[in-house]
Amino acid sequence: MTSAEQSLPDLLRGVRAELDAATPADTATLARPRAKLAWIASMLPTQRGEARRLLDLAAEAASAIGTTLEGEQEHQRCLNAVRAAVGAAIEHLAAPEDLGGELLLIQAGQQLLRALGRDHQEWMRGMSRGNVTPHDTASEIIEGQPVPLLTLDDAAALLLMVEPSERAEMERIRHALEALTEDEREVPLVRTLAGDAVASIRRVLDDVSAAEDLVTDLAEVAQFVNLAVRARDDAAEWMSAGPQLAIPIGVVEGGSVPAPRAPATAHHGVADALPEGDRELIADFVVECGEYLESAEAALLKLEANPTDIEAINTVFRAFHTVKGTSGFLGLDVITTFAHEAESLFSRVRDGELPFAGRIPDLALRAADVVKALVETVDKALHGTPMTRPGTYDTVLEELARVAAGDMSTGAEAADGIAATPTAEAEEGPARPRLVQAPEPWRGEERRDQNSDSSIRVRTDRLDRLIDMVSELVIAHTMIAQDESVPQVGHHGLGRKVSHAGKIVRELHDLSLSMRMVPLKPTFQKMTRLVRDVAHNVGKEVEFITEGDETEIDRNMVDALSDPLVHMVRNAVDHGIETPDERIAAGKPRHGSVRLSAKHSGGSVLVELRDDGRGLDKDRIVVKAIEKGLIESAAKLADAEIFNLIFAPGFSTATHVTALSGRGVGMDVVRRNIESLRGLVTISSVPGEGTLFTLRLPLTLAVTDGMLVQVGPERYVIPTTCIHMSFRPERSALSTIAGRGEMVRLRDEVMPMFRLHKLFSVVGAQEDPCAALVVVVSIGSQRVALLVDALLGQQQVVAKSLGEGIGKIEGVSGGAILGDGRVGLILDVAELLVMLRRREAGPDQLRSVA
Amino acid sequence: MMRDVVSRSGTPLPIDLSTVQHPFEMSTATGAVPAESSLARRSGKFLTFFLAGEEYGLEILKVHEILGMLPITRIPRAPDFILGVINLRGKVIPIMDLRTRFLMPPSETAEPCIIVTQIQRVQIGIVVDQVSEVCNIAAGEVEDTPNFGADVHTEFLLGLAKQGGRVKLLLDIDRILDMKELASASEAAA
Repeated sequence: MTSAEQSLPDLLRGVRAELDAATPADTATLARPRAKLAWIASMLPTQRGEARRLLDLAAEAASAIGTTLEGEQEHQRCLNAVRAAVGAAIEHLAAPEDLGGELLLIQAGQQLLRALGRDHQEWMRGMSRGNVTPHDTASEIIEGQPVPLLTLDDAAALLLMVEPSERAEMERIRHALEALTEDEREVPLVRTLAGDAVASIRRVLDDVSAAEDLVTDLAEVAQFVNLAVRARDDAAEWMSAGPQLAIPIGVVEGGSVPAPRAPATAHHGVADALPEGDRELIADFVVECGEYLESAEAALLKLEANPTDIEAINTVFRAFHTVKGTSGFLGLDVITTFAHEAESLFSRVRDGELPFAGRIPDLALRAADVVKALVETVDKALHGTPMTRPGTYDTVLEELARVAAGDMSTGAEAADGIAATPTAEAEEGPARPRLVQAPEPWRGEERRDQNSDSSIRVRTDRLDRLIDMVSELVIAHTMIAQDESVPQVGHHGLGRKVSHAGKIVRELHDLSLSMRMVPLKPTFQKMTRLVRDVAHNVGKEVEFITEGDETEIDRNMVDALSDPLVHMVRNAVDHGIETPDERIAAGKPRHGSVRLSAKHSGGSVLVELRDDGRGLDKDRIVVKAIEKGLIESAAKLADAEIFNLIFAPGFSTATHVTALSGRGVGMDVVRRNIESLRGLVTISSVPGEGTLFTLRLPLTLAVTDGMLVQVGPERYVIPTTCIHMSFRPERSALSTIAGRGEMVRLRDEVMPMFRLHKLFSVVGAQEDPCAALVVVVSIGSQRVALLVDALLGQQQVVAKSLGEGIGKIEGVSGGAILGDGRVGLILDVAELLVMLRRREAGPDQLRSVA
Repeated sequence: MMRDVVSRSGTPLPIDLSTVQHPFEMSTATGAVPAESSLARRSGKFLTFFLAGEEYGLEILKVHEILGMLPITRIPRAPDFILGVINLRGKVIPIMDLRTRFLMPPSETAEPCIIVTQIQRVQIGIVVDQVSEVCNIAAGEVEDTPNFGADVHTEFLLGLAKQGGRVKLLLDIDRILDMKELASASEAAA
């Protein structure tokens, strides 16, 4: 068996997954598996004639869907037959001698023929022929032309296994790749990539001394070869997809896709259109680039502190290099051109020709920003927005080119940094005679963590489904555990077994919920950059310290947390920290310090932002608040209450910024954001010593703390964070307005009361408020009382949508599976209040429903 | 059947209640001739079920599963033919009462069950009186639905199948669930 043949079942499994995702209605989803099927069939050796015949037939059937076959049902049948055929081929190839596998092949073949509307006997008739002479079309390809030593796929498979010391194998691979670069039949891009791979493999072959570099070089070869395989497959797909997809071939063959090492300047000025091509690949590229750039930015910031950090320089270089390579492969010329210049600059920094000093650090950060912006527009272009270049594209590009070319002005500016570089080389010199010359393929942030910290990408919907299923398991288990027959005397062992299973189920549940958690590190890193930029702009010296950035939080919350943090960090640097002169005058160190920390605390995440600046000016806040009519006097107010005033909407307007050291800017937005995450923000501050903001956030949004309430025969969930309190009203606390609007008095406060059962037309609920219960809910400063029958208890629930078929129901944010397996509706209190306000405005609008 | 339901974001709801009409009561002039595409769907395997004594057929490929009656959580302010939602192994799916949808009186004696269907990506359960059988229906056994004029509209039928002396009404479930089409049909009528 050749190595390629060994990898075929795996390839087929990939095809099967694609087929499973394909729908007969959308023939575009079938194009790729179909092309792959035909190709795999052609790869099969002659003694696997039956499997080859089956796969050829499957490919034919796949192309018949939507063309020769009519009717949805026929399509579905045909697709099922194709799926079955691929399954059978996998079975058969895994154990070629197994009789069962062969029978499966025959069945699948007959099924396919039937689906195609042909005589299923044809399969048996063709069988003997198929065994003796290999199947027609496929064999022509193989026999008609000289077979290269190894195919591209062989090479790819071999590269996975080969050790750098196995020189004979390596020579074989090199030979095969060289043959490929000459092969006229291959797409140009494939040949160029093969050429790159040859160049890298030569380095491996010529340079046996540094063992650790060999492995990375080899990995680079594998990367090039894999890119080539991808390019070849995509080209094959485009070709087989027929005329409607002919344009992409033009893109590839027209050579507008630069090879990763081609001089990119030639492509400058190419129209910024998103190239046709595999959208999926581009989407992957966007995600990958985000990661590269994040690491590059972190490394750049590290470099500012220590300009001779070789590892960081390499990280930046690799990031630009990979972005360039991949964007070139995808035909995103605008990015390729830019990344090329950035890479050139860094290759000179890496080689010690330019010191990382003067304008370079700033330029590099700006370059990373431009690439980031470019990648963002690509992402948007995927969703239909036309691609644009960021405004700074041309200027930064020019500057990059000038600096990389060794512009004298930069050299002079950077003179102070030059001294540092040779030292670094001297330190590193004897141990590693050359800096990593070849760009290492991307391997995550820290190579030594590879084993302990490896991860795979999983689609979020799949993960969500898993979590759903585990939650169901928890419920199902609870039902078993509560079954009457479990604690019976005769079943003594059963109870123990059930509770043991319960432990496992609970652990599984915790584990599944933790899978959505991601560390806060990337968010904190963003802040590092922000502090640097803001401090730079306003001329302050700030030391930014992060702690606990490994603290994990639900993935959905990370983005939502970022905005308020940006506001707060910017305020802290801009307005909290004093200028160096002021600080010295106040007897403080010149450098201000801003400390951002995170930690887990009692089932929630605590994020703290502490600065050692001038602190909040209590008196001024009070003056402003009185001016604004927020309070009458500060006599009764505690410090915390005074500080909380800065969260009031409209409290901070432009005129207040200077007067209040600007601490109010956007603070109402901050509070609103944090509250929408069901979090809490508090402030403490000491004049002259600094301010501390504390955010307390739930670990996840997926799980809501809810209060289960009974209304007639129905149950609803009210999010606990919205509940102010609940009580049973005295008759004297009730009053009405115009005989209709009901009010309830709680201590000194009078608030409107609404009957939930009326609102939701529930029959059979408690009508007498004095026998029922009032739940006071609040959003912001607004409070209303809701009348319910009873509280059933607090519960953590997982919020789910009510299903696409039903749309949005006003006042209900979703459903939750309750402990008994039924669905309970979760109230959307904010929306409910809006609804009620409308009802107050025009009660007739709702009467028709209620 | 007109109700006041407003989407918060201003986008149209998947079910636009203001345009929902009774399937057999639509005052549209578009006639009862099945579309070309539905002709091809009139043969093959059908799951048949009873509804107020009538036997209906539903393409087997549209059927996800059949469930016994489950506790249904009512949804306030939803259209009356939406009985509510159920928990289908951790997924919340809406349940439609086909009798109410067809303006039939509520069932009293039958043991209803839920047929879970999937149209495109939307999963929805429909409540029927009783599931009967899975039968093969050949194209030759199917006739176009006769035109009853404005009284009975037959847009929601693929055709009538005559088998074993019984008439089975082949349901076009997409049309029953596809509210967008309903909306445009009623617009055309208006």
